[in-house]
Amino acid sequence: MAYLQARRDFLKIATTGVSASVLIPGSLGALGDVALKGEDKFIRSVCEMCSSRCPMEARVVNGKTVLIQGNSFAKEMGTSLCAKGVAGASQLYDPQRLVTPLIRVGKRGENKWREASWDEALSLISRKFSALKERYGARSVIFSAKTGEQYDLLRSFASAYGSPNIFSHWSSCPIAIESAFAHTFGEKLYRDFENSTYILNFGHNLFEGLDIPLTKAMAHFSANPSKKLVVCDPRFSIIASKADEWHPIKAGSDLAFILSLLHVWIRDGKYDKRFVDEYTIGFDQLSDAIKEATPQWQQTLTGIDAKVVERIAAEMYAAAPRCIIDWGHKATTTKAEFQRTRAILIANILMGNVEKEGGIFFAKTAERINTLACEKVVPELSDPYPRPRINEPRLDGAGEEGEHRFISRSHGILQAIPDAILSQKPYAIKGWFLTRHNPLVTVAYPQKMKEAMEQLEFIVVNDVYLSDTAMMADVVLPEATYLERDEGISKYSFKSPVYAMRNRIVQPINHTKNLIEIIRDLAERMGFGSHYAWKNITELRAFQAKGDAELLQTLLMRGVASFDVPPLLARCSSSVERFCERYPKSHLLKDTQGLFSHMLHSLKTPSGKIEIFSAEIEKAFKGYGVPRAVDMDVTQGYPYVLTSGKSAVHTNGHTQNIPYLNMLLSSNPIWMHPNTAKAHGLKMGDTFYLQNAISKEKATVFITEGIRPDTLFAYMGFGRDAPALKRTHAKGTNPSKLLSLESATLCGAMITNVGVNIVKA
Amino acid sequence: MQKQYRLLYDENLCIGCQACSVACRMENSVPDNVYRVQVHMKTLGVFPNLGMQYERHSCVMCENPPCVSVCPTNASFQSKDGLVHIDEKSCISCKYCILACPYHARFINPLKNVVEKCTFCYETRVSKELLPACVSTCPTDALSFGDMRQKESLVHQKSQKEVLVFPKAHLGTKPKVAFIPNRKGIKS
Repeated sequence: MAYLQARRDFLKIATTGVSASVLIPGSLGALGDVALKGEDKFIRSVCEMCSSRCPMEARVVNGKTVLIQGNSFAKEMGTSLCAKGVAGASQLYDPQRLVTPLIRVGKRGENKWREASWDEALSLISRKFSALKERYGARSVIFSAKTGEQYDLLRSFASAYGSPNIFSHWSSCPIAIESAFAHTFGEKLYRDFENSTYILNFGHNLFEGLDIPLTKAMAHFSANPSKKLVVCDPRFSIIASKADEWHPIKAGSDLAFILSLLHVWIRDGKYDKRFVDEYTIGFDQLSDAIKEATPQWQQTLTGIDAKVVERIAAEMYAAAPRCIIDWGHKATTTKAEFQRTRAILIANILMGNVEKEGGIFFAKTAERINTLACEKVVPELSDPYPRPRINEPRLDGAGEEGEHRFISRSHGILQAIPDAILSQKPYAIKGWFLTRHNPLVTVAYPQKMKEAMEQLEFIVVNDVYLSDTAMMADVVLPEATYLERDEGISKYSFKSPVYAMRNRIVQPINHTKNLIEIIRDLAERMGFGSHYAWKNITELRAFQAKGDAELLQTLLMRGVASFDVPPLLARCSSSVERFCERYPKSHLLKDTQGLFSHMLHSLKTPSGKIEIFSAEIEKAFKGYGVPRAVDMDVTQGYPYVLTSGKSAVHTNGHTQNIPYLNMLLSSNPIWMHPNTAKAHGLKMGDTFYLQNAISKEKATVFITEGIRPDTLFAYMGFGRDAPALKRTHAKGTNPSKLLSLESATLCGAMITNVGVNIVKA
Repeated sequence: MQKQYRLLYDENLCIGCQACSVACRMENSVPDNVYRVQVHMKTLGVFPNLGMQYERHSCVMCENPPCVSVCPTNASFQSKDGLVHIDEKSCISCKYCILACPYHARFINPLKNVVEKCTFCYETRVSKELLPACVSTCPTDALSFGDMRQKESLVHQKSQKEVLVFPKAHLGTKPKVAFIPNRKGIKS
């Protein structure tokens, strides 16, 4: 793969300079030249060009340029940052960015607007939402956001308003992982890449979906000749190119490969028996479930030789517990996503790597550290976003009896929205408030979602750009970019607790607002201002920090706060010893082997143990209590599978129009193996159609050896319909348009691997 | 020479993410659609036996720079630290240097109509004891930079430990940018 001139066919770098002749209403370009008001010294903050939220620092030079780099007070960062992070100013200064509220004047989606004052826009929103509540009930309004502080805020607002229908992006991203963790460990775990010696990776593309601390650790891991990285991915990704072994596994078949690993370990008795006996339940059920899953059996499903599975199983066992079977950061590929991810977690469990160096570990939050230290060594935070539970069924049935009983009521399933709106079942939906959420690009079957949105009475979109989704709105609020926002404190806990805080780098251009200010203002106008104990960001921060001035000062100066807590792994005796020396009261919690084993005996699972078998799940979804071979087909009878993923210079649906990033990658031709292209008479750069029962989408071909002949690949986030995104409008293909609204069993994940035909144009 | 600068590029750590390129653009106000540094990638081999070539494109700061000897106005010159610079005021944009450079590292800045290239961020950073923007930003520590006479420096230590490749060494230009070649995958 390649960005850049080396492959002109792939990456068409724009040859013209600035040329926007028609100005976008409400855009920065319509304002003319703007000088930035900010200080010529580094201010420490948090990036928001993607969801990784890396700590960064930035300064304004001559009121014009904003220089951004990593925040070296966060020691895993140094001054490192990715291309998106460094290009922050390119978004801040983009003439196509919105800086004035817009009110719709044409038909919905027609893209006709007039500029409005903040007062007019917010007053209209509060009047409309109050009217919808009165006429149809508060549950008739949906709220959605990406996870993070903005989601916490919106969720709290939805709760104050009285609607149970709050959605995050979970179902289009990490929901399978979150669900598998909840049903196995009762909470999420993290990976100790830096101390591991063997990592098995299933398409966790850390070199294109960057998260600096993790990416850096993985880069040093893969470059170290004494360590081993094995990557299974239908595509020769960047991380595959850095692996010691790359196996071009058939799309959707990871589950078969992992089941056969489990089979070999159990068959040969090569797993951590003491760990399994002491900390888990359900090993016997697993043993029964994988009896047939031999390396030979997986061969036809995955395309990987049986001998390879035998060898990898032996190598991993020899490396255990310093080995990791990596679950990735987005797992939404097949209907069996829950089973796949559970199988990965259980593979880790059999290797006994939990709370071991080079393995996987529980987050050491402030609360956990204080409990283990038997004294308050890290300040704990208050929750500034109250959210009383709304006792009404959600539109998607999340958390109720039925197929969505195990879906979190706080995150929901986005794919259920169109049908609920169109059928008015279980009840009428009339409004939607979206903040920095672009489902018409990032969620399956946007054609249907658009049809549903047309039925709504009132839609508000809060975004930096007039995106595809914003085009469907009645009111568009031009949000301040992250470089213009002060926000609350966010928690990042790994082997020890860390807090971070977003501090404003420049004054907001044209007085754009922060969601915190918007929500506070709306709550006041709608008569539930008392829901929040704070009135502005300063009060919010003070409330959150419980008045801890020292903590606030550190976060203002350094952007991050860590507490010199020794990194803790509960089953690593040297680590526990170090911790006990620092906090002597904790000696009492040690077991006879000098470990904090009690931590793993009282988990938030029904049994309190690690659940290899879940009785609760088996009862509701027969055969799902332990990982089994189910639902691995991703072709639906079509000859090819279309898969999608990230590039290092763009984020899901957000960055494609940002000038500096658009210059690096401005479209997404579809990856195709030379033999496949030849069979269809396609040459590099030719136009063709991807077709299935859902849609027929125009695409351009990129021919490469780096993909299986039965698989196609597209970078996400292209194929925009929104004309205001002038650089990306009508370029490339939106793979979401070929996806069905079907969800993965039990966990509700959107399914992103899909069968297609290649049709010549 | 008062300094012996070296920039080391470790292909094993590079992930082609272009953070270096954007950092350079910000630091040096490089106009749109031209660049001082980029990493180009190319898939090598036949499925499933593949490799990825990572190639850093920038000025390599030759000890014997062909761009300097062809310059009719002495706009291209070598400093006492051995770095190759361009004096904007003397540059007449005749493009001889662009043709002479075997590394395709020079371009015309379309806004100023003068020749430009990587300077190791000498003016704004290196002369102030800071690392070049690309080195400082790199997410994976694939770049290291320093004065080779400082024995304790990372660049010196890494140079001792690794096999270094100097691009187009046969031309005798003696670059100050050295590569640590990729150890994984098919090589051609």
